[in-house]
Amino acid sequence: MRLLIVEDDAPLASGLSRILEAEGHAVDVTERGEDAVLAASQEHFDLVILDIGLPRMDGFEVLRRLRAAEKRIPVLVLTARDAVEDRVHGLDIGADDYMVKPFAMPELTARVRALLRRSQAHGGPRIVHGPLALDTVARRAFLRNEPLELAAREWAVLEVLLAKVEKIVSKEAIIQAVAGWGDDLSPNAIEVYVSRLRSKLEPAGIKIRTVRGFGYMLEEFKPALH
Amino acid sequence: MPARSLRAHLLRMLLPPIAALLALGAIVAYYPSGEPTTEAYDQALVDIGIALGGHIRVAPDEYRFEVPPAVEQVLRTDRYDVIFYRVLSPSGQHIAGDTSLRPPSGDVTAYNSDVNGQKVRVVSVEAPCGRSSCTILVGETTIKRARAAREFLLTSMLPGILIALATLLIVWFGVKRGLWPLARLSDELKARSPRDLRPIDTAAAPEEMRPLVSALNGLLDEVALSARNQQRFLANAAHQLRTPLAGLQAHTELALAQPIPESCRAHLEQVHQATIRTARLANQLLALARAEPGGRGSSSEVNLRSVVEGEADAWVHQALARDVDLGFELDAAPVHGDALLLREALANLVHNAIEYSNGGGRVTVRTGQREGRSFAEVEDDGPGIAPQERERVLERFYRVPGTPGTGSGLGLAIVREIAGGHGALIELAEGAGARGCRVALTFPHG
Repeated sequence: MRLLIVEDDAPLASGLSRILEAEGHAVDVTERGEDAVLAASQEHFDLVILDIGLPRMDGFEVLRRLRAAEKRIPVLVLTARDAVEDRVHGLDIGADDYMVKPFAMPELTARVRALLRRSQAHGGPRIVHGPLALDTVARRAFLRNEPLELAAREWAVLEVLLAKVEKIVSKEAIIQAVAGWGDDLSPNAIEVYVSRLRSKLEPAGIKIRTVRGFGYMLEEFKPALH
Repeated sequence: MPARSLRAHLLRMLLPPIAALLALGAIVAYYPSGEPTTEAYDQALVDIGIALGGHIRVAPDEYRFEVPPAVEQVLRTDRYDVIFYRVLSPSGQHIAGDTSLRPPSGDVTAYNSDVNGQKVRVVSVEAPCGRSSCTILVGETTIKRARAAREFLLTSMLPGILIALATLLIVWFGVKRGLWPLARLSDELKARSPRDLRPIDTAAAPEEMRPLVSALNGLLDEVALSARNQQRFLANAAHQLRTPLAGLQAHTELALAQPIPESCRAHLEQVHQATIRTARLANQLLALARAEPGGRGSSSEVNLRSVVEGEADAWVHQALARDVDLGFELDAAPVHGDALLLREALANLVHNAIEYSNGGGRVTVRTGQREGRSFAEVEDDGPGIAPQERERVLERFYRVPGTPGTGSGLGLAIVREIAGGHGALIELAEGAGARGCRVALTFPHG
């Protein structure tokens, strides 16, 4: 994937680019907002990592221009300012995710992966999560290339969780996404579907974690070490 | 001169002129009033003199004065005063009466004199004695006159005294009544939260108080301005600190991912841990500065439940990294406050609970309402805090002796500061089953 880092702090920018290159991405770095807007208009990037505190044209303005040009590039905002944090928190500025400096690198790479996955899956007919693959057009699931039987509601719950890997999805959110069938669903019913999904997916190393009193989180797939 | 009490000051200013006016009024009323009284009493003496004059007998070569004892008794009787008389011949010879009564020194009909050291008023009356006239002096002591004068003085001064008393009362209660808007302003200021730097409503103040209110508003304005400057400084400081720390963290993590000698790795691990600690400390110091009065002023309706839901993701990942089971029991908990600060307070509580939980521990975050008051609490099953330490752990930089880990001792101080700014009560107790620790923030009604 091709990533653009817009960050005026040279040590941080070089650190970020090295880490993301190690993940197998092609990374370009610029320290000026103007250059970022220009580069994004001329070339294709799969993700932009954007610092808000830039000299002259700040990150907000860069983001505004990117969105004005109808660029649907995922943007991960970096911020060091509390006041900005407050504004970005609601993500009302059109960012896809944000991180407050300083941050742990594994968390950054996890977020980058999640954003890329989401944008690739966006509207795409095929969702892949480790050994699991969902063909959303044919509505067929495969696990380790074997067909996997999923009931309609199990499919719906899995789709919601797959859209937010490594993020907690509340039971209410799952109910809302699944209850398109007209009847009321109780939180207990969701538990039943999740436990059925678990028994089908866990043998392949796919884990759905319960967050007590809140909801569920589909963990990032980590291939078992041999 | 510093006026300690406005009342005393007003009274000091008002009383001397009132007293002077009273005295002047008394003098003006008293002196002219003396004359008619004196004339009336003198006339009574003249009447006695005339009555006595009828008892003078003129013999060929002498004057005789014969008055029946009963008549003399009647004439001399008075309720208050002693009455003296003396009869003198036309040539001034003593004929009868009290020799102690001295004749006038000049040609006057009424005069003041004294008898045996007592003040007396004397009138002299001419009575026919043959072809010429004798003189009859009638005197009386001045008790009655003095008494009349006193009574008159009192009556004439009474309205003045009443006016003075009324003035005292008016000053006493009037000052209180007049200063009522000031008392209301002071109540309003007392009721304010230290974060509330909005100007005071000038329109509600009486005209005389407007300069005071504008001066206060000017001051509030300056405080707000300096608070804004402080905020700008903090924002810049945050940026200046956090960005290089992020770079430092990135590079140490990069270096740790390289194949490096073990001896080097140990040092690098230390650098990495120190970087993370420094970053956290920087964040906490900034949070503490923000939480202090005069920090941020943004206040709105916040639901603690939404605050927790918004942060749950980040907290769960922190908990997973330490193998802690983080759970939630969330109900609506509306409060009035600063969402960013409340988030900071809860994040500190959760961070502490996770940090001090043993691996495999259990941490539960709750929000909701108890007895109509919103609350948020975090409970863990870690080592807990001994009762005698519970007060001290809220102090800045205090850490319970022997505590493992690398905390700064600022987390709970930040929570206390933020709770204080929101009028919330902070309570430290044991967790369920007498294990671990439960920290609860209970917010005021409505």
